[in-house]
Parts: sequence; C-alpha cells; structure tokens
Amino acid sequence: MLTVTDLHAGYGLSEVLVGASLEVKPGTIVALIGANGAGKTTTMRAISGTLAPTRGQVRLAGSRVDGLGAARIARLGLAHAPEGRKVFGPLSTEDNLLLGAFRWLPHLFGFHRQARQALARVYDLFPRLAERRAQLAGTLSGGEQQMLAIGRALMARPKIMLLDEPSMGLAPVIVQEVFRTIRRLKAEGMTMLLVEQFASAALGVADHVYVMERGRVAVSGTPDELRRDPRVLAAYLG
Amino acid sequence: MLKRLVLVRGAEIALFVVLGALPLAVHSPYALALLTLLAIYGVVLIGLDVTVGYLGQVNLAQAAMLGLGAYLAGIAVTRYGVGIPLAIVLSGGFCTLVGALLALPALRLEGPQFALATLSFTALCATALNELEWLTNGAQGLQIPRPLLLGHEVDARAFFWLCTAILALVWLAMRNLLSSQWGRAFEALRDSPIATDAMGVGTYRHKVAGFAFGSGLGGAAGALYAFDLRYLQPQTFDYGLTVTLLLGVVLGGRKSLWGAVVGAALVALLPNLLSSPPLFRAFSGIAFALALVSGVRGLVRRKTDAFRALAPIAVTLTLVIGSFLASNIEDWRRAIFALLLFSVVVGLPEGLMGFASAGLARLFRVAPPDLPPPAALEQVLPARAPDGSVLLELAGLSRHFGDVRAVDGVDLTVKAGTIHGLIGPNGSGKSTLVNVVSGLYTPSGGQLRLRGAALRGGKPVAAARAGIARTFQNLQLFGGMTALDNVMVALRGAWRVPLPLVLLGLGRLEELRGQAAALALLELVSLRGEARTRAADLTYGAQRFLEIARALARRPDLLILDEPAAGLAQPDVQRLLEIIRRIHQRGITTVLIEHHMDVVSELCEIVTVLDGGKVIAEGSPAEIKRDAKVITAYLGAAEPDAPAPGAAPAPSAPAETP
Repeated sequence: MLTVTDLHAGYGLSEVLVGASLEVKPGTIVALIGANGAGKTTTMRAISGTLAPTRGQVRLAGSRVDGLGAARIARLGLAHAPEGRKVFGPLSTEDNLLLGAFRWLPHLFGFHRQARQALARVYDLFPRLAERRAQLAGTLSGGEQQMLAIGRALMARPKIMLLDEPSMGLAPVIVQEVFRTIRRLKAEGMTMLLVEQFASAALGVADHVYVMERGRVAVSGTPDELRRDPRVLAAYLG
Repeated sequence: MLKRLVLVRGAEIALFVVLGALPLAVHSPYALALLTLLAIYGVVLIGLDVTVGYLGQVNLAQAAMLGLGAYLAGIAVTRYGVGIPLAIVLSGGFCTLVGALLALPALRLEGPQFALATLSFTALCATALNELEWLTNGAQGLQIPRPLLLGHEVDARAFFWLCTAILALVWLAMRNLLSSQWGRAFEALRDSPIATDAMGVGTYRHKVAGFAFGSGLGGAAGALYAFDLRYLQPQTFDYGLTVTLLLGVVLGGRKSLWGAVVGAALVALLPNLLSSPPLFRAFSGIAFALALVSGVRGLVRRKTDAFRALAPIAVTLTLVIGSFLASNIEDWRRAIFALLLFSVVVGLPEGLMGFASAGLARLFRVAPPDLPPPAALEQVLPARAPDGSVLLELAGLSRHFGDVRAVDGVDLTVKAGTIHGLIGPNGSGKSTLVNVVSGLYTPSGGQLRLRGAALRGGKPVAAARAGIARTFQNLQLFGGMTALDNVMVALRGAWRVPLPLVLLGLGRLEELRGQAAALALLELVSLRGEARTRAADLTYGAQRFLEIARALARRPDLLILDEPAAGLAQPDVQRLLEIIRRIHQRGITTVLIEHHMDVVSELCEIVTVLDGGKVIAEGSPAEIKRDAKVITAYLGAAEPDAPAPGAAPAPSAPAETP
C-alpha cells in the first residue's frame, strides 16, 4: 500500500531524516517507535507531503507521490491525523468532519450522499462526537478532539491513515478507547501507520514495527520479535 | 575573541570612519545634503525598527513622530531661541511622551488594528500641523534659521558630522539595549506573549516602553531634520513618508542596526537615483542581478518555491526594461517604490542585510563570546528545608465559561516541599485550574491564597512575581532564542541596572552574572551543552526540560508542571523523573499534572483527582489507584477485548508492564 525508500527530509539546515525506508502492507497496522527527535513525526510529515522530502521515494499504491504536495496526496487517498490533533477550533464538530469529506463537494441540494454516509459511519464509531456535533471543536476536551481528528481523517474514506501520537496528553481511560477504535478500524480492513510513545500499546496493535534512531530505521520486525530484542526492550519498553 | 572584535566591531568602526571622512573627499554641497539626510534617516529607522522589527508590529506613526519633533524644534528655535542640543532633547522627550500615550491604547491591539491606529495618528498629526496656523504657519510652511551649537555657527559640513555622531551614539545605545534583558524581552514577547507574562516580564509594559523609545528617536531625528532642511511643510510628514520609512526598514533588513542604516541610505538616495536615468539603469540592473542570483540559487538548492524565486526576477526585469523605455523616470516614482517593496517582501523577506549576513556568516565563522563558568546551584536556587506549612490554598475556587463550569468549587491544599499530583480525565478542569492559579484566568468565585496572602488572579505577571512559575502543556518556548536566553529572560532578581545605565553599556557585568546563573539551571536539567542551540532546534524532550529550567529561573515557591511527560519516549521519561527529583531535593513545592500514572505514583506523595471540575478523590497514589470512582472516571478497567494472550500487554497500564 505504502512504500517509502531512502527518505530524506529536514527543516532549514538541519536534516532530520537521513534515509528512512519502510513498507505498509494493505490491511495492516505498522507502528513507528523511537526516542524523541528520532524522526518519527518528520517521517509522517514527509510521507503526507506537509513537509517536502529532499530525497527518496514515497509510493502510494504503486505510484510515486513524493513532492506532490499535501493536498494532492490527500486526494490520492492518504489521510493524516497530525500530532497535537490540529482540529479547526472555531468550527463546529460536524463542520470539522464535513471538511474531511473534501472529495465529495456539496451540491445544490445539500451535502453529497457519500459525505453523509461517511458522517454516519464516523458518528457510529464515535457516539461522543454525535452528541457534540454542534459544539465548537476548540471547546472539546482533549480526548474528544483526538476522536475528531481521527474521524476527520476517516471522512475521506482513505486507503491509508497516518496517526501521529493519538494518545498524547490523554487520560488512561481515553487512551484505551482510542486503541479500541484503532483495533476496530483494523478489523474493518483499514491500513494504518502509527507513531506512538506508548511503545507497549503500539506493539499491542501493530502487525509490524519499525524502531527509528537518528533519522533512519534501526530495527524492525514483528512485535514478538522486538519484545525479545533486549536492546529494544531496555531502550523503549522501559 | 579577537576575531570577533576585529570583524564585528571593526566593521562598525569602519562604517562610521568612512561616513565621517566622506565630506573631506566629496565637496559637492548636494552630496553633503544627501549624506546628512542619510544619517538622520538612520536614526529614524533605528527607532522604527524597534516596533516593526523587534515588536513585530506594523507601525505607521513614525513619519508623524518625525514631523512632531521637527515642528517642535522649529517652534522652539524661532520663538524662544533655543540651541541645538536643547532642541534635540526637547523633541526627543516630547515624542517619547506622545509615543507612550499613543501606545497605551494602541498596543492593546494587534496586527492590522494596530497598524490602523497608528495610521490614523499620522492623519491626525498631518491635519493638526496644517490647521494650527498660529503655531505652525500652516500650509505656508515654517522657515527656521539654523541655530547655534554651544555659541558657534554650524556650517553644512559640521552639521553633517553632528548628525553622524548622533547616529553613532544611537547605534551604540541601541546595541547596548538589545544585548541586555530588554532586547531579550523584546524577542521573547514576539515568540510567546503568554510565556513572557508567565515569566514575570510583562509583555504590555515592554511593548509600550519599546514603542515610546522608538518614537523618541523619531522625534530627536525630527529636530535634526528641521535644522537640516530649514523649511518645514505639514504635507511632508504624510502617508508618502510613512511608506518610504517602512520601505527603508523592510528593504534594509529588520532587527538589524546595519539594516536600518542600509535602508536609510537607500531611502535617502533612491529619489535622487530616479532623477538620473543612467544611474537608475545601473541600480535596477544590480537589483535584477541580485534577484537572479538569489532566486536561481534558492531554486537549485530547493530552498525556495518557484513563486518566491521568480516573482522578484520578473519585477526587477520590469524595472530594467522600464528604465530604458520611460523618458522621465521620476513620474514613475511611486510605482517603482511599490514594485521594489513587493519584490523585497516576496524575495528577500529578511531584507538586504538579512540576505547579506547569512552569506557573511558562512564566509567568516565568528564564534560567539565565551560563556562564564556556571554559578553554584546553591546561589541560583537556594535549598529550602520543607517546614510542612501550607503553601497554596484554594477554597471553593471556580471558573465558569458561560454555562460550562470548568472548575466548580475546588478546595485544595498544597503543603510546602511536597510533590502534589493532579490528575483527572480530559476536560475535568485541570488545565483551567492551573490557568486560574497562574493568573491567566480570573476566578469566577472562591479564594486563592499563597502563603496565606490572597491572590486576586487574572494577572499572570502578578502571579509570577508572587512566586508561581509554570510550564505549558503545549510548549511555549521562545523558539527563535537560544536555550541560554530562554532561561535568562525568566531570571528573577538578576536585573537591577536602570535603563539609562544600560544604554551607556554598564549592564555587562550583570549580564555575565545572569549567564552564569542560567548555565547552572541548564546544568540542572542536563542541557548545558545545548546552551547556544536555538530552542526551536532542540529535540522535543529537550524542549520540555528547557521549559522546566526556565520556570526554575523564577526561583519559584510553587512550580506547576503541566503534563511534562506528554509525548516523551521512555528514556526521556526517566530523565524527567531524575530532574523532578533534583528539584524536589532543593525543597521546591511542585504541582504535577500528568497522565502517565507511573510517573505520578513514582513521584507524588499526595494526589488529587478532578472530574467535572470537582475534586472526587485525594490521597496517596496507592489509595487513588484503589478508589472505585477514580477507576471508573479515569484509570479504566483492564481491557475486556484485549488481544490474544501473549500478544500484547493491555494498553491500560502502558508503561508499567515491561
């Protein structure tokens, strides 16, 4: 579904990614773990086009998308739920979601049927969002905003979803709910690339794990293999 | 050290020596008049750069300040026979005062609103100067004799030297100011006004002072302007001049003394370039070459997008073609100014000096001055013995937003010397509570006492000065400043030298002491090696630790850490635990808001749990973990639909299970 080869990217003069490569197969969850500053979020941003890669290839379902720009890549079916949620604060929950359905423009008689279906599906997945549909997104709690960010990404019916730190700053009870949702989406066949600080939680849902160090992939394997790797165990699983 | 002295100071000295020596080589009175204008504009633009560059606000009032200063000096000379020095002091002082009065309301506004407020002030001044005929002689203009300087006649050349000397003094004073705590405060309040207030620095006060200071420079330059031209007309100080001055600052390069003088040279010389077609052709040719080089270089290195690179090339090419087609270039003056401003804003957002200094920095690597050895931690952060007394006391504290009761009658006691945990589901009111205690929000009801003294709330600066320091859940670092400067902004009680002495350069010793103290705090969070790194370039974990060091610089009685472990990977969480333990050893009371339950149980003696804006439980971490209400609302039960056994530890206890 997604193949990344020798990806380089950075900010200004500092190069953060120095040749990251990874692969996400359809219907699987791939987790990206590593220390702060290892380049996990930068990898996500370089894949989704919010940061232009300086070298390397990104292939989405076989065709190259690197350098296309975030808007084009999103239209090709890649949804990015960024770190820190980034919901549109002054808009209502429902408007935030409908903005996610950019693939189906509203027509003369209201919203497109596909957009309505996507909305119903998201509300089914997150009943809390249905309760808060008219509330301004900026006034939602952190957990609700995270659900909204995931829901908004789902609205475009993406082929693959990038989830960056979905548990950040959330209460344990909400973290559990987020991971339940991730499992449910996986059961429905969604492909996901997940960045997560809670390495043990990430390993619990992932089919394959990449450990990043200083801008490239240091170790990779199935969660079971990594749990047996003493180095990974000491450094990331505490 | 020597290299720095030679290259940086040497260049400044060379500038003024060359400028001062020019009249000896150039004898044309016309050239001398241009040079004098250059020196005067230099002072005006350095003043304007305080607001436009350092405060980051579009200030459209500087032309009016120049006008007010000029007219005041003119009137003082014609009516009262005042001499040059007194006239300069009068104009400068008057415009400082006017600037402060204008800034008090105007700087409550931001961005376009502030620009409009200053624009209307310019309109007001131009009209007043025109209509107050008994005072200003109205549209007929005011003739001014050039007054005596300490009893001597001043010829054109001597007057030029006087203006250059004043420019040099202003340059020196400004450099001293910017390398002091004032300069850091200006930087900081642009990066994060919230954190600037929370560190007890006072955003609004510094903005007003900066604006008044810059206006004062405009006024003082106005006096020189009056004695230079010796004929004043109200319409001189109108929108045209406003835009010209702004062009000078932006074209020369913001936040740079060199930029202001380069901008002044361009603004003073440009109108005269336009009157001579060959000169203008040469000028536009150079501009085109510059745009071509920087644009192509940016494209090749993939640093700029196509629009940014090509637009200035197209515009300057238009200038070159236009310079050969147009018969009278002066008629096109405004259009040319507009085109130049456009291409600079697009192609050289940092201005000419910003562009040049990036290149110069690559050519000559000048090491920053050495740092002093760190101070003893005991001096910077004296250890206190916890006496078990009550430090913070909240009684029935509440904060409502409309119908939402974010904090609803919270009673809470924090004992001195403890680490007090505060947990609760998202939206339970933890952040609101912290914002009330640290003064960002005014409480809707209830009492807030620190060491028995009531705090009214709603004033972050007051809370900071009372001894409360905090970090922010969404980092609020001063991203463009170094780690060292971030800490130095917050240093409490380190800055005692008054402003006039700082301008004279007598703040150096204090500055070194401040650096030593800040280094000691950076060492405490293991960031001493990153002292010179820009905060924005630090890794995420290091940024979290830097915020803690910055808060400690307040030498706080109460330290509030708002989710310090959020987004930290396991190794960094361990470092964080170590840092908090070190802080605890110094006897500082800490309120810790955190979602990582392992961090909370590891550190806290007592934990308060909030839900729906109310306290639902309080006790030791072990008691809290057993509390049924806390389990339902916050911790959650073990996963019922957990994956197959052996596949994964349940995410409910994320970092507790290995």
